[in-house]
Amino acid sequence: MQNDEPYTDLTALFEAQDAAFADDGFTDRVMTPIRRRASWRSPLLFGAGGIGVGAALSQIGGLWRAVVDWLPESTVQVGGVPDVSLELGALSPLWFAAAGIMAVCCLAILVSERA
Amino acid sequence: MRSDQDLAAEAAAGDEAAFETLVRRHQAAVRGLTRRLTGRPVEADDLAQSAFLTAWRKIGSYRGGAFKSWLCTIAYREFLQARRRHKPEVEFDESTHIIAFDLSAARMADRLDLDRALKQLPENQRICVVLCVAAGLSHSEASRATGWPLGTVKSYVNRGVAALRQHLAAEDVA
Repeated sequence: MQNDEPYTDLTALFEAQDAAFADDGFTDRVMTPIRRRASWRSPLLFGAGGIGVGAALSQIGGLWRAVVDWLPESTVQVGGVPDVSLELGALSPLWFAAAGIMAVCCLAILVSERA
Repeated sequence: MRSDQDLAAEAAAGDEAAFETLVRRHQAAVRGLTRRLTGRPVEADDLAQSAFLTAWRKIGSYRGGAFKSWLCTIAYREFLQARRRHKPEVEFDESTHIIAFDLSAARMADRLDLDRALKQLPENQRICVVLCVAAGLSHSEASRATGWPLGTVKSYVNRGVAALRQHLAAEDVA
């Protein structure tokens, strides 16, 4: 911070003025909307993302059975799993698009919040 | 005491408490800046609040250097945006400016002198004096913030400082 002309005397006067500022609730005024926003934003974003992912996964017919086949028998009880009606190849691309759009939106919001 | 840079890094990671510490540490400087730019305490505090909220959103873009200068640059931009939206309805109101400070009579008189002297400056000089002399921005930082060439900023500061000293000296004599 190099300046050409010295004016430390005037800077000291201004700083003395600033030092007279009591916080008088100003910090709380700034922080209240930040805390309020943070309290609903994460559940909303991750909730919406989770719903989107869940909706997409629910449409993949062979997925659950493939997972079950892959897992060791001794660790999974599969008796209660309902039969699925769709095969992986028959999955509507619409659900993939919806899940993708939702994920991109969530990512964009998070990135813009932190930019 | 943790440095501004450390706190800013923690705030960028989402730590609200770290950002709160930064607000407490710099609120006086930012509110002082906005009051000197607007001359109206209520509007100035609204601008200062907006500046801190913008700083919270953009804390990830802070790349080191003087944190106070970074904040004051944001506050100055908030001032410019507000001025574009609303044309000032009243001129610099000294009385409300003074009441908002908790000062002894002697210090209030000093403040009155300084505010009056600042008010006498042409706007461009006043902005440069407020940014460089009061808020501590370098000439280069003020040049980037205002968009004015570096030489122009230096010239405004030098002329503003000289005029400010002249006004203060004249008031001392009176």
